[in-house]
Amino acid sequence: MPSNAAHSPIVLREADALRPPRGHALLRGIGPLLIGVAIAAVMQWGVGPFVGTYVARILLDVGIAIILAVSLNIVNGLAGQFSLGHAGFSALGGYAAGSITYYGSLILWNSSVKHGGPFGAGEWLFVAACLTGGLVAAGAGFIVGLPALRLRGDYLAIATLGFGEIVRVMLQQTGDVIYSARALEQATVNDFFPPPLGGSLGFSGIPTYTSLFWVYLFCAVTIVVAQRLKFSAAGRAMVSIREDEIAAQAMGVNITKWKVRAFVISAFFAGVAGALFAHESGVIISPGDAGFQRSIEIVIMVVLGGKGSITGVLLAAAILSTLPEFLRDFAQYRMIIYALLLIGMMLLRPQGLFGNHEIWDYFKRRRKSSS
Amino acid sequence: MSSAPLLAINDIGIRFGGLAAVQDFFLHMPPRSLYGLIGPNGAGKTTVFNLITGVYQTQTGAMLLEGQPLGGLPPHRITSAGIARTFQNIRLFGDLSVLDNVMLACQLRAKNRIAGTLVRSRASVGEEAAIRMRSLELLDVFDLRARADEPAQSLPYGHQRQLEIVRALATEPKVLLLDEPAAGMNSGEKRQLAQTIRRIRDEFQLAILLIEHDMELVMEICERITVLDHGVTIASGPPEQIQCDPKVIEAYLGVADDEGAEEQSSKGAEEK
Repeated sequence: MPSNAAHSPIVLREADALRPPRGHALLRGIGPLLIGVAIAAVMQWGVGPFVGTYVARILLDVGIAIILAVSLNIVNGLAGQFSLGHAGFSALGGYAAGSITYYGSLILWNSSVKHGGPFGAGEWLFVAACLTGGLVAAGAGFIVGLPALRLRGDYLAIATLGFGEIVRVMLQQTGDVIYSARALEQATVNDFFPPPLGGSLGFSGIPTYTSLFWVYLFCAVTIVVAQRLKFSAAGRAMVSIREDEIAAQAMGVNITKWKVRAFVISAFFAGVAGALFAHESGVIISPGDAGFQRSIEIVIMVVLGGKGSITGVLLAAAILSTLPEFLRDFAQYRMIIYALLLIGMMLLRPQGLFGNHEIWDYFKRRRKSSS
Repeated sequence: MSSAPLLAINDIGIRFGGLAAVQDFFLHMPPRSLYGLIGPNGAGKTTVFNLITGVYQTQTGAMLLEGQPLGGLPPHRITSAGIARTFQNIRLFGDLSVLDNVMLACQLRAKNRIAGTLVRSRASVGEEAAIRMRSLELLDVFDLRARADEPAQSLPYGHQRQLEIVRALATEPKVLLLDEPAAGMNSGEKRQLAQTIRRIRDEFQLAILLIEHDMELVMEICERITVLDHGVTIASGPPEQIQCDPKVIEAYLGVADDEGAEEQSSKGAEEK
């Protein structure tokens, strides 16, 4: 049987016969995304209007935190590359998207405020800006991914931390925002060097587009992508790098390619999250958003959720971004309690909430033991 | 060596600083051969494996697999060219399941388009199912199918060694390098392993190069044996010849008198 192994790999001989029927494949492929759209719609029109602006605002932040944590989990949890630059990617995406909607609105509609109603022209400009923000961050992820090939552990952490700081300092050096369509028309080339992104004061005037619908839609896309990566050849390749690089290479894994891919995919969603954050009402993005403190907050979510566990990280992101709100009654002791809770959790469950597992593994085990 | 060699290794070597870890190493393996590589501890056997698999780059000579040069290729390219290995100190992916360990190796021969993975295309789902099926079949080589879902690190030591062999086979190699597969086994298990190694060679039609300390095992199953000492090939030939080679006996048992020791050290100086 294996005599013609040289011509076609044995493993692929049955692959065509094992393809699922078309309809079934389509359902499995698109189904989760449709569920995502449904959840987003429920959040927007079923939950949002009834919980008040304060809770709605927290829900927005929870969604963005989930995108950030689940995407960091791809590079940090799956591929095992300790990155402290996630906020840097996020800020890059936010600034890129913000400049598109802000200056785009000035050029198209002579005003930087929100244009059109739900799913109006302005909203689509915003979605395009979010995706562009993601691409800009992904490009940065590629550039950061390259040195990551040579660095391990602590050294990589320091290098990515440096990346975040570089982004922060570069954003501080940007020029003043051009405030009106008229001023934009009269602007000379000199006004665009350095780019008019607000400098250390922050980029104000970005229109408010972020809604529960878009946040939870992107949230669903992030989770679906992370899940499909994890439970596929891609996920196995990334985890093999985390577990043992030498063995991974010996099994034919191109570790260079997969490290860069992990960084690029992870940075893309960080950029989208940054874009969503930039368009939240009342938010003025500033260079500080790229700083390492933000990055560490996201790392904590990943560590607490269990490195590599999507559901664990999702839950940790939700808990950690709402916890400070519940602790508001304790006023100035709030952050101390927050820190103590973190320490307590790390002592009780050093492997994170779910360790390597997903939440459904627990149900499966329970069913197994009861039967 | 009548037929054209499947793997031709000519004069490879590497120095670490002033130390010649391996030098002037030659090996020609015909298809479906079963060769052994022996030598005292620190003789450079594993270094030879690391040179062949690209973990270290050879500083001299050349390596050809089916006439294609392997020199300078990174380890993953050498694996996809058709050389797989196991590790002396087991290097499984401990957190992954037994099945996932094999599937990871198996997927090397699949296309694994990332876009297909993300949209769950029919081709990618079919591929994944094929990888799973083939991996389960391969686990049967050592009766490991029942433990497929356990984390690899929870397997007993002997099973971990077996899983390493299965994982290497999953890359569909033409040449399999086994680094001390019998380490830590009792004599009964070793006898069984000897049979399995022969069976693997016949069933998968590959050439096997074996590093092993257990002389009985090596002498029993290997067609030719190369003996290394201090990075130098001191003998090479069929088992009967190796067994009575004075240099080999000397390397393993030491020399009988001072005269011999002097002889050896002066010889070492010459080679440097």
